[in-house]
Amino acid sequence: MTDLAGLSARALAEAIRARKISSVEATREAVKRLIACHELTGCIVSLEADAALDGARAADTAIAAGGAAGPLAGVPLAHKDMFDREGRIASWGANIRADRPAARDASVIAALAEAGALQIAALHLTEFAYGPTGHNYVLGHARNPWDPARITGGSSSGTAAAVAYGAIPFGLGSDTGGSLRLPAACCGIASIKTTWGRVSRAGAMPLAPALDTIGALARHVEDLALALGCLAGPDPRDPAALPVPVPDYVARLADPVRGLRVGIDEKVVSEAHPEVQRMVDEVAGILTGLGLERRACAIPDWQTLDHLVQLVQLPDASAAHAAFLRTRPQDYGPQVRARVEVGHFVGAVDHLTALRARGTWLQRTLDVTFRDADIVILPVLADPLPSIAELDVGGGPKVQAAMGRVVKFTRPINYLGLPALTLPVPRKGGLPNGVQLVGRPFAEAQLLAVGHAYQREVPPEIAKPSMQGEIGR
Amino acid sequence: MAASGNTTAAAPQDEKGAGGGLDIPEERRALAKAHAALLAETAARIAVELPMSADVDDFRRVLAAEAKP
Repeated sequence: MTDLAGLSARALAEAIRARKISSVEATREAVKRLIACHELTGCIVSLEADAALDGARAADTAIAAGGAAGPLAGVPLAHKDMFDREGRIASWGANIRADRPAARDASVIAALAEAGALQIAALHLTEFAYGPTGHNYVLGHARNPWDPARITGGSSSGTAAAVAYGAIPFGLGSDTGGSLRLPAACCGIASIKTTWGRVSRAGAMPLAPALDTIGALARHVEDLALALGCLAGPDPRDPAALPVPVPDYVARLADPVRGLRVGIDEKVVSEAHPEVQRMVDEVAGILTGLGLERRACAIPDWQTLDHLVQLVQLPDASAAHAAFLRTRPQDYGPQVRARVEVGHFVGAVDHLTALRARGTWLQRTLDVTFRDADIVILPVLADPLPSIAELDVGGGPKVQAAMGRVVKFTRPINYLGLPALTLPVPRKGGLPNGVQLVGRPFAEAQLLAVGHAYQREVPPEIAKPSMQGEIGR
Repeated sequence: MAASGNTTAAAPQDEKGAGGGLDIPEERRALAKAHAALLAETAARIAVELPMSADVDDFRRVLAAEAKP
């Protein structure tokens, strides 16, 4: 019996196409593992096993008849529960949700269906995707599959847990301030946060549209390439999806990485916990072993970027929630309610100043930081993997500072709109963590090629719940 | 006309200003204002550096210029 949990989506699709395994077998195994993962982590919002098995039978029939040629034909997946699906109401991780079923699928859900993928479940997220830790005071907190006392990271918490556990090879998430990168780092997997405008957000729950991006989480970088090839490109339903050519991301995985310059801003990295600084240094060393050249670089004023992104995000999110906050404030969990309130106190002129300055700061970053580097390496988490208890601050007075520390290295990248690949650091028997490789706009293919090469040295792992209590002490 | 203006002016600032009408406990309201004030200092500093021609669409223009076939 093939170890399905360890396969990439690409390998699983190939096995299904070659009829070495049926889609029904793969789907049954995925459902079984997802239920086991849920018992450990709370990753499922809704399980859709019967519908997925119907789809699997149809895929097997089509493949037997010589059809179903999509690159993900018959592959079981599951996604963050924030995407429209025809006839359904997504939970958004909240008590407040859309008041009627979606009329059509979100563009990214439609793209994966077109590629032949099945959806076996909708997965946990922090309330309204507005939280970087996996705490959800409405659905319950997500738990890390490596150690259930630890955070999964958020907001794409359920997808990260399910991927790390080996229930699904990849799944969709979103990133407004770190929501793809933080859960990937916390759960020891990879993710791609796309350039703003690379992937359509049509039909995805908005958090702060000026910053929102859609991407994927996977154990294997090659699956991020496969997913992005399905998702990227312009979309008449989302005017922000820019008409930029879409490369063959899977073919580009073979691009040479030797000679690429990996930049480190030591001043910025020094603001992380010493253990995290050591991780960044170790990954940089692995990359230089692959032929990349380590360079010093300077990012223009990280602290100012952190303020600028908040000046955009806070009122943008508050505007999206303005009606609910006035009419149903009691239906919010305490943390999201407190965070949504803050944006009402940011002045319109200050918000517009941050938006007007955004092009200048992006250009400055390209001219200064990327003059000396092709990619920049940064921490994802500022600290070693935190526990659920230590970040359980609710909506109390510590919330801004605590959440600010968690997203310290992620949210400024959203202001710049740049792509970022998260890679797990070598775990060496300890708790997972990750680093991010940040690229120029639309340089996802380059990042993925570097990540693919990295995984030859640091292969993907599946979370082993039997190790609970034995690691990270 | 003057009477109508006086009625409006008599309302507490927060009832008509930022966060007006929102049910926010005083402690959280104060924290939110303090955080916004901190960010406003940065915005004021950045505003001084920006040319008057700076535009919210500059960001998309820079992104689009980076797009390569």
